[in-house]
Amino acid sequence: MLKRVLIANRGEIALRVLRACRELEIETVAAYSEADAEALHVQLATESVCIGPARAADSYLNQDALLTAALATGCDGIHPGYGFLSENADFSDACAKAGLTFIGPSGEAIRKAGSKSAARDLMKAAGVPVTPGSDGPVSSVEEALAAAEAVGWPVLLKASAGGGGRGIRRCDGPDALPAACAEAKAEAAACFGNDEMYLEKLVLNPRHVEVQILADRQGHTIHLGDRDCSVQRRNQKLIEEAPAPGLSPALRRAMGEAAVRAAEAVGYEGAGTVEFLVDGENFYFMEMNTRIQVEHGVTELVTGVDLVRQQLRIASGLSLDMGQKDVTIRGCAMECRVNAEDPHGDFRPCPGKVEFLHFPGGAGVRVDSCLYNGCTMSPYYDSLAAKVLAHGATRLEAIRKLRRCLEEFTLEGFPTNAELSYEILFHPVFVRGRCTTGFLDAHLAELLDFSRRVEEKEAEA
Amino acid sequence: MSSIFAKRRARLLAMKAIRDSYVPGDQLVACPKCGGESQRKDVAGNLSVCPLCGYHFPIGAYYRLSTILDPGSFRELNEKLPAADPLSFPGYREKQRLAQRKTGLTEAAVTATGTIGGRKCVAGVLDSRFFMGSMSAAVGEKITLAIEYAAKNKLPLILFSASGGARMQEGILSLMQMAKTSAALARFSEKGLLYISVLTDPTTGGVTASFASLGDIILAEPGALIGFAGPRVIQQTIGETLPEGFQRAEYQEEHGFVDAVVPRGELRETLSRLLRLHEKGGRP
Repeated sequence: MLKRVLIANRGEIALRVLRACRELEIETVAAYSEADAEALHVQLATESVCIGPARAADSYLNQDALLTAALATGCDGIHPGYGFLSENADFSDACAKAGLTFIGPSGEAIRKAGSKSAARDLMKAAGVPVTPGSDGPVSSVEEALAAAEAVGWPVLLKASAGGGGRGIRRCDGPDALPAACAEAKAEAAACFGNDEMYLEKLVLNPRHVEVQILADRQGHTIHLGDRDCSVQRRNQKLIEEAPAPGLSPALRRAMGEAAVRAAEAVGYEGAGTVEFLVDGENFYFMEMNTRIQVEHGVTELVTGVDLVRQQLRIASGLSLDMGQKDVTIRGCAMECRVNAEDPHGDFRPCPGKVEFLHFPGGAGVRVDSCLYNGCTMSPYYDSLAAKVLAHGATRLEAIRKLRRCLEEFTLEGFPTNAELSYEILFHPVFVRGRCTTGFLDAHLAELLDFSRRVEEKEAEA
Repeated sequence: MSSIFAKRRARLLAMKAIRDSYVPGDQLVACPKCGGESQRKDVAGNLSVCPLCGYHFPIGAYYRLSTILDPGSFRELNEKLPAADPLSFPGYREKQRLAQRKTGLTEAAVTATGTIGGRKCVAGVLDSRFFMGSMSAAVGEKITLAIEYAAKNKLPLILFSASGGARMQEGILSLMQMAKTSAALARFSEKGLLYISVLTDPTTGGVTASFASLGDIILAEPGALIGFAGPRVIQQTIGETLPEGFQRAEYQEEHGFVDAVVPRGELRETLSRLLRLHEKGGRP
């Protein structure tokens, strides 16, 4: 078993990892930036090391500083969390070279799964369905045009190295292609230092369904059911649930099996996610996330499996303590991300000081957050303030419980999107489980108008 | 500190108030009979009956059953019976799929067992939103199966009709259902069991000419159009002006085709009483 783990992340995921480590009697070292000196995980860790200034590039993305800190504090493992260096193949390799265990897959596996166009070819070979698109990267506008004509409009141009919604352009017809191509290339070059592009057919209003997988070094790979993350805005997820509502048993089984094949194809190790687009009874491989995900909690609630604990066990060289037949999905779990952003101000991040904080509780409720009364949310990093999760025997029970949780959830100090999520939980389309990725864009105005009217009413009173 | 929670509670209450009064799209519903406009929620809270003039709006099959059966007693029969296209009629499949998507039904009929005032019965409803409740092979089969289920289990039967008649796209096979359902009802009747037919707007064509008219007791909703051929067809054929209220439920009651006109709000109570009164006779 690992003895001492450096947590190369911040926010709620750092706390999540720290908690799992504590439960496994693993010591923790919090590597933090100057902006996070007061953060909760820094207070709770066995030891804490400042690794640099607030800017992420100087601290949480600074590989040398992290490796030095890990070695200086006597760590034998590094947990990268999500974001930052979690899907950086070079960092995984560098850890291995320094004699540290990177808690995640090998650099080679990350490279295979991470380059989107290479992953497509790999998945095709492994028998995992992919969206129709270009065979490999497209280097010129002419090539892109030919590929687009072959699969049919509209198409998406994607950066091979992309992620988080960056470096993606939609293109509805041949006239718009050259401009979109140039824009996407520039963005990809700026964000990822690599302007390789590929092209695929745009599936209009699909559902976003992903499958959680676990793989150990001994060659066992299992999946832990699916999650639906269709409620999203500009590719940022807002509400997630497990299992995905309304999938036929055949489709669910096929997706689970495809996800396992996908993981085996890249030689995966640890916890990962295979994302699919679901369109009716068809599903297409979208991408593979080689890390723990923000929404991993919903899978934990329905399966009873602690995913971070499994990550730590796998990284310690232990084999999985369960097989595919031991995985059972019980009830329904739903998660709502509370972000420090103003839905009425174009979702502008607006972190600040937490004046007052109260979390919901009770049976089947979980809140993952790094906030405490009086702490200040840093403006340098992402705006995730808390994840509120609810678990019920049925989907409706979970919805009702999550509504109740958001009624109790109180955060004073800065605006959040909690109320918007609360309204979504009442929307007939959501309650029926019919959300596609276009849901929020289509209904955002209606939902926002709602809280505006509440404010008018309050002003009258 | 408690002021924070008080403020929050006030806000949640304001949100609830707005949510409860919030009806997407048009807030007002116009009544086609009196032309008056009412809040949608008032109409919905009044069993979809116009609060101003008592006009009965058409309602869906499942909602109809929820207003009649005791809560929690509903058990659907043959819900998986699929819609068919026996003649491969051009464009029919597409229209079926569209209607299925729009209504969430598989066919125009919903049949179920349940209790009314604690007494078990079999109930069937035709939904006018699905091809105007017209009789297809699937509808006929569902109704027949419900009749046979009631006969086998010695249960009273209640059928709510709302139909434009035969399903044109299924031709002669649709017309066959008239004979099939009538024959099943004859066998049902021979067992001495009770069949109550409730006619809702509109009950016409092949449905009137078969099971809708064969009830031991025939009830109707106020203002329902009940007939074989519609008033426009008759007027054009005979070339005479038709009397006021021709073929409406009240007119048919006056002329002996309907035993009683019962408003939607009293339907459940009336059915419950009828089942109670006929209990002994229904169980030899």
